[in-house]
Amino acid sequence: MKTDQDTFLYALSSNNAWAGYKAHQNPDFFPKLASGQSPPILWLGCSDSRCPETTILGLQPGDVFVHRNIANIISPTDINTSAVIEYAVVHLKVKHVVLCGHTACGGAAASLADTRVGGVLDTWLTPLKAVRAANQEALDAIRDSQARIARIAELNVEAGVKVLMANWTIQEAVRERGLEVHGVLFDIATGRIRDLGFGTKPGGGAGAAGEEVRGRHAQLVFRGSNASMAAK
Amino acid sequence: MALLKTRIVAPSLMLQTSFRALRRPNLSHALLSLSRTISSTSPAAHPRSPHTLVDWRTMAPQDISKYLRQTHDKVFEHNKAWAAEKCSKDPEFFAHLSAGQNPEYLWIGCSDSRIPAEQITGLEAGDVFVHRNIANLVCNTDLNAMSVITYAVEHLKVKHIVVCGHYGCGGVKAAMTPKDMGILNPWLRNIRDVYRLHEKELDAIADEETRYNRLVELNVMEQCRNVIKSASVQKSYAENKFPIVHGWVFGFHDGLLKDLNLDFEKVLADIQKIYNLTES
Repeated sequence: MKTDQDTFLYALSSNNAWAGYKAHQNPDFFPKLASGQSPPILWLGCSDSRCPETTILGLQPGDVFVHRNIANIISPTDINTSAVIEYAVVHLKVKHVVLCGHTACGGAAASLADTRVGGVLDTWLTPLKAVRAANQEALDAIRDSQARIARIAELNVEAGVKVLMANWTIQEAVRERGLEVHGVLFDIATGRIRDLGFGTKPGGGAGAAGEEVRGRHAQLVFRGSNASMAAK
Repeated sequence: MALLKTRIVAPSLMLQTSFRALRRPNLSHALLSLSRTISSTSPAAHPRSPHTLVDWRTMAPQDISKYLRQTHDKVFEHNKAWAAEKCSKDPEFFAHLSAGQNPEYLWIGCSDSRIPAEQITGLEAGDVFVHRNIANLVCNTDLNAMSVITYAVEHLKVKHIVVCGHYGCGGVKAAMTPKDMGILNPWLRNIRDVYRLHEKELDAIADEETRYNRLVELNVMEQCRNVIKSASVQKSYAENKFPIVHGWVFGFHDGLLKDLNLDFEKVLADIQKIYNLTES
């Protein structure tokens, strides 16, 4: 285990190496970055260190506009998230909004416990507590605690997508230019993302081919009353 | 067809793992532009330019619908490739990840797509707890950011908190534009307040870009102060001598991070004259 100061210096020197490598490999890389951003994706995810969006998506700087908070909670009156959505949808005109939950989420686990987390956290986690209350019986029926945490993470994404779909800015963009909203779950144990099938349908009058493609990814492992992770 | 020009963003291993998935007629050309194999131990194993060449704003409707499917599917294909690569390099990688997180850093950065915290610092999944919002702001009444700080300091016990801004920040520019921006107003107002705090210095800078860039730096310093004003940071530092708060700025022109060298001890002492929450 490196000392604290080591890890700090590592990040800075590693940045130096990364910048040198990128510039060497493609001299246009940074000039192009400096010229502006036009990301197709807005990512709303968890702050959890195990969910680095651009890395797990295999994408590059410039591809994903990002907001990450505790337990990827989408609260309609939160000005922070609202400002991100407004900027991304109205000003950058992203084509996809992706709300991503994940397994083994600390916030999800906290919402299933009956103890106070402390500080401002309990207030922040209130929407997740409401999701728990609304699904108490189904959640109680899941024996495995990790599966229960994964299930509430999925229900949280479903609730978050509903809030997104009720947002005026998003509604207008869906109607006027086919913005797509997706709810997905990142499985930390495998590194894979699953499309949960919430949100809009594939946009722009997609025909049968579009549905096929969509179907290939929609492995709805957690849907329905059976919430076992082993169901796959 | 516009799609032919799409430059696929992919690690080289995609050639093996999802060649079949990509090999649809309108994508075959894109494969040609896939970058060549590079060492996976290099700081960043994802070669390519930052932007797709396609401009969907000028596409025909049927092309847009294809583009939407493609950009959506691309993400899942790349994710599979990434997971496979991680597994092949370290079969225990995801098992360790699912055991829990123990990050040393909290990163508070801008939502801007060009600044993925992990990639530009060469850190791995599990290393950095991340909050990103418009213009990397830390506002006292924002429960979103304040919850992140509380969780990172009190529960994860991070050692460093980095507030990272970037030159050419669109949020900072938007904040200084005389325009009603609706729901963005209450958020961007905080940047105008930073300007007011440093009005003399900023007004004295004649060149507009230089003035914005200085505002970016001053904004980072101000948000560092806001982090230090929190009870979590003050109490943890009194008890453990961490976390330390740092102000950094990322530059697109060279991809480098600049350390603004915030004097944490001094700023903390100054702040505690008024904002002391440690009961000492």
